[in-house]
Amino acid sequence: MLEPIILEKTKNSPEIILDKENSTFKIAGRSIVEDPGEFYSPIHNWLEEYVKSPLPKTDFVIDLEYFNSSSARQIMEIIMLLEKIQKSGKIVKVSWLYEEGDEMSKERGDEIKLVSKLDFEIKEYPAEDY
Amino acid sequence: MTTKTIFEFYKLLEKDKISFSYRGRFSNNVLTMATELLKENLDEEHGRLRNKLSFLMIESFQNISRYADKENSELDETSEFFMTRNVGDTFYIISANLIDNDKIPVVREKLEKVNTLDKKELNLLYREVLTNKQINEKGGAGLGFIEMVRKTKGKLPFDFVKIDDKQSMFFMQIELKNAKTDDGLPSLPISDAKFVQEIVAAENILMMHKGDFSEEAVGPMIRMVEENMQNISLKIHKKIFHFLVEILQNISKHAYSTDDKREGIFQIGFMNNKFHIGTGNLIANNEIKNLKTQIDSVNSKTKDELNELYRKYLREGKSTKTGSAGLGLIDLARETEDNIKYEFTQINDEYSFFSLTVNF
Repeated sequence: MLEPIILEKTKNSPEIILDKENSTFKIAGRSIVEDPGEFYSPIHNWLEEYVKSPLPKTDFVIDLEYFNSSSARQIMEIIMLLEKIQKSGKIVKVSWLYEEGDEMSKERGDEIKLVSKLDFEIKEYPAEDY
Repeated sequence: MTTKTIFEFYKLLEKDKISFSYRGRFSNNVLTMATELLKENLDEEHGRLRNKLSFLMIESFQNISRYADKENSELDETSEFFMTRNVGDTFYIISANLIDNDKIPVVREKLEKVNTLDKKELNLLYREVLTNKQINEKGGAGLGFIEMVRKTKGKLPFDFVKIDDKQSMFFMQIELKNAKTDDGLPSLPISDAKFVQEIVAAENILMMHKGDFSEEAVGPMIRMVEENMQNISLKIHKKIFHFLVEILQNISKHAYSTDDKREGIFQIGFMNNKFHIGTGNLIANNEIKNLKTQIDSVNSKTKDELNELYRKYLREGKSTKTGSAGLGLIDLARETEDNIKYEFTQINDEYSFFSLTVNF
């Protein structure tokens, strides 16, 4: 079984959960790392392994309040790896979550949906109370 | 705010190793972040001043908020102003706030008094004020002023600038010298601070920072701006944040560096119903041509073309052709309302000053 990757979120990098055993796949928080290649390469490597023998259904949750342009490429890379699962005939679903009123996150989701070939759902959740 | 303004500020603050100014609402958040930012930017040799500086910044801040009573009003030329700067071996903390004209004589008297006393006399006065209930009950007995003078072992330059028959702007400057490395340079006159305040007010610049823009220093800057954006809508907040991250990270990657530092300046302003974000930094002369080609190229494209290009690069990665812009620049160009404005001003044979503004 593929060892899970679980990273807590920091001021600059998102929370990551890649856990095949518990069928949980999630990126949440913000991604403004200056060298995203370094941060995302273990994640890409993990997914490359995962797509070789994926679960029958993969629910991937992306809940990014913000990502910089250099992270955008890395996130797209994840999406393109997931497309490989779809090609192999198994089910992949991406849920893109954004906070109510956060137009930018919604627009960014719409854009990635547009260039991706996946079943891609964009969902709003209520704003947090401060 | 124009690319010219940014260069003018850069010249004005040329000798500043760190410089930070803020206008507007003064919350504890702003204070915490301003202190953090200063700490992050401190040279090793000045590190031991850290606690004193925090203390003095707090005193100065409280001095502003004590007098500030225009809580919900819009920003104007009389808005509270706060600035810290490090020039040579001296740190300056400058505050400006409105004061009723009839309170001026009392404040003036207190300041003139503490400015003439020696260490012993200050300690005596401090104890006297501390134990004198009558003075205390009136509030603002001048304990703050006494503390500032005791901590800095210097004077407190001040000035009043009349606004109208009722009110004036009250400027005060705290100076803290690093005794160990004293460069013997004369202090900056308070008129310098008044001049900076005048321009940031006229240009309606909310926040300005000059200092090190290397990766470690950019983080606290971004967080500080973010903390200060809590009262505006999420939509605007996100946009400002977006521009800042992209622009600041761009500087930290490409700025000309001396001694491992990447010096730069950034400003956020609000004018004609638009937010303006401007940055300036040094750039090696041999990089200008490539950068100029890239900006001109994104500026010449329509929003639709930019979107298309962005989406293409998302899947395929950036084109490796020289002069072709990356995702960051394309993104700036499609989010800014007008074009990306920029200017290169040659400083010497090696490098130039590069300033850039975006707005929305």
